[in-house]
Amino acid sequence: MATLFPTTVAPRGFVSTDPELAAVDASVRWPVMVCFLSAVHWMVVGTFLLVYASSLTHPQDAFPILGWFVDLSDNFSMFTYGRVWPAAIDALVYGWASTAGLGLAVWLLARTSRAPACSPATLMTAVVFWNLGVAIGLTGIFLGDSTGVELLEFPAYASWILWLAYALFALWSVATYLGRRPGYDHIAQAWVLVALFAFPWLYGAGSILLSTSHPLPGSGVIQEVINAWYVHGIYTLWLAPLGLGLLYYLIPKISGISIRFGTKAKIAFWTWIIFAPWTAVHDFVGGPFPAETVTIGLILSGLIFIPVALIGMNLVSTAFTAEEKQGHHGGVVFPFFVLASVLFVVAGISEQILSIRSANELLRFTMFRECNQLLWIYGFFSFTVFGAIYYIVPRLLDFGWRSAALIKIHYYLSLYGILLVISILGFGGVMQGNILENTDVQVTIVTANDVSISYHIAATMCISLIAIGNGVFALHLGWMLIDWLRLRVRGNRLAAEILIEPYEGDAPAKASEEVAA
Amino acid sequence: MNIIPNFRGFFWLILIAFLFTWFGLVVFPWLELGHLPPIQEEGSTDITPWDSSGAAHAGEHIYAANGCAYCHTQQVRPETSGADIIRGWGTAKDEDGKDVTRRTYPRDYIWQGQVFLGNSREGADLSNVAQRFPDAAKLYSYLYDPYVLNDHSAMPEYRFLFVTQKISGQPSQDALVLPAADAPPAGYEIVPTAQAKSLVAYLLSLKKGYHLKPDEAGIPYVPPSPNNS
Repeated sequence: MATLFPTTVAPRGFVSTDPELAAVDASVRWPVMVCFLSAVHWMVVGTFLLVYASSLTHPQDAFPILGWFVDLSDNFSMFTYGRVWPAAIDALVYGWASTAGLGLAVWLLARTSRAPACSPATLMTAVVFWNLGVAIGLTGIFLGDSTGVELLEFPAYASWILWLAYALFALWSVATYLGRRPGYDHIAQAWVLVALFAFPWLYGAGSILLSTSHPLPGSGVIQEVINAWYVHGIYTLWLAPLGLGLLYYLIPKISGISIRFGTKAKIAFWTWIIFAPWTAVHDFVGGPFPAETVTIGLILSGLIFIPVALIGMNLVSTAFTAEEKQGHHGGVVFPFFVLASVLFVVAGISEQILSIRSANELLRFTMFRECNQLLWIYGFFSFTVFGAIYYIVPRLLDFGWRSAALIKIHYYLSLYGILLVISILGFGGVMQGNILENTDVQVTIVTANDVSISYHIAATMCISLIAIGNGVFALHLGWMLIDWLRLRVRGNRLAAEILIEPYEGDAPAKASEEVAA
Repeated sequence: MNIIPNFRGFFWLILIAFLFTWFGLVVFPWLELGHLPPIQEEGSTDITPWDSSGAAHAGEHIYAANGCAYCHTQQVRPETSGADIIRGWGTAKDEDGKDVTRRTYPRDYIWQGQVFLGNSREGADLSNVAQRFPDAAKLYSYLYDPYVLNDHSAMPEYRFLFVTQKISGQPSQDALVLPAADAPPAGYEIVPTAQAKSLVAYLLSLKKGYHLKPDEAGIPYVPPSPNNS
């Protein structure tokens, strides 16, 4: 594929100077690029759907222009809130986060093992089918085939495509890892492998046990138990490890500082794997479930303060030290990783809050849960992936980003967007909870709605901010690809460009020279 | 930071960690709650909980497909945990027409093909929605236009569950009774589709006014308090 456009182009100095790493990057170039491109596509789709869904949670007076959204949603089943909202979250979780996560996984495993990926064509096939699965699943939701099971809304005919595509992808990634040269071990491998093992278990068990066409006989509330295990497993055992693996690899690599408190990384890893999935019991408190499971679960999930604190010590303090020592180091990519590590800790704190029984009783059914969800998807994981795409793509294509200003605009829009969204939904959750749990009999759900509506309006505005940021990012990526194609096909002279992180010793200090054909 | 000295050993440790959560969160609750039988008094043909009709079971799919569960819960927490009872969500009529107020227990859900406990209360809890909307006509008009009954409602309108048709001969029995703003043109009527009918049948089946036995599967059974009945 690298010779698809047979024009001789002088090397532009973005590829790693280490020939082994350059070979690794070359071997995964197309599978990872296809993952990233399709992920960004789903990000745009999912973000648009999220703005739409969010605009349906309140009267349209604040957004007169969106009035026709409501008319659509009232009169066409496809556009009702109960279909758009799950479609948005699924597009973001399976289309955006997971597809990008697959790309991260194979790149990280190959890079840290210094083993070129085996059979990139197989990986490509798997990614294509994965995307097909997501597309079919989303179409199914819009057409009314949604299962109504949180995060497993995709109808059965889409689920098995996703599972098979995943299995193909994961087997080949793990095979790459097993083919590593001895001596190349990195904690990122452990995180990625955990994620790769967790997903097939979660998705297989979840979609088979909760299949709505063949429900488990007599299962009753067990369905919701399995669903909670699944939902929290996706965040804590699939997305979180993938993101953490990348941060553990790139933060020291970019900053040139080794992980601080590195000896604690191992404890952090194992305690996270053991305690974090117990956050599932946050959805059980007060419900029709065995009391002892809830009590033990709250204690175990409360213990995630150990891994969260240790990972915070590892990542956040390394990142801050780097910023301190090197000043603002001119980089525009590193801040994405700094913020991702901080948002991981914030997400951990929000899980911690829900582990306190009284706080959970107050916040359980409020928009706080949405805040927690968006913290994982849009906060921690998206920022990791943004940084990863900014860092990895130039090294794969040997081509630079077009504009540092656009990267900064994207950064600040996403930063303020996510901080505002989580503050609004978090605080709104407390206010909504205060009314829902009010002991005055005169208070009704209507009172709660009147309060929550203003927070929903604010949330819509801030999600739009994130959406604009994401749009800038997607357009920038498109611009870069078009220029890259022009260079490959026509050998055009191109204007100055940037490579944003002059670290790791394998990148040029300055890459803004013009290149002639 | 070599965390994987040996791939096979690492794999087993991961497996053990996963199994720990799997047993605690899935297998153990399943053993305890997965096969709860209904209760039948000796010498009586009455079974609690009450089973619901076939139309109601068909309505579960409409409830799922249109995502009702993203805003509505179907669980009533005990008085010690939240204000659900005070909101009146735990109240339903028993066989004798007397109000029973209580939390929900695992046994309440054994007949449901798909259980929708829900995690968000943008809308009211629906465990006993049939208590508040005893007849189909009221539910139909609420689904068609929630503002008719509640001008602060955050619920979307579900007009796509209804069709406007020309009245030929006798007006249809199910035709919606709507205020002037929503009313169809003269000579036309708005009637529920088959989907709306099964959804409403499902909603009308949501009432938990029967009595359960003490100690429901590890959850101590608190008899309905006389104050609330």
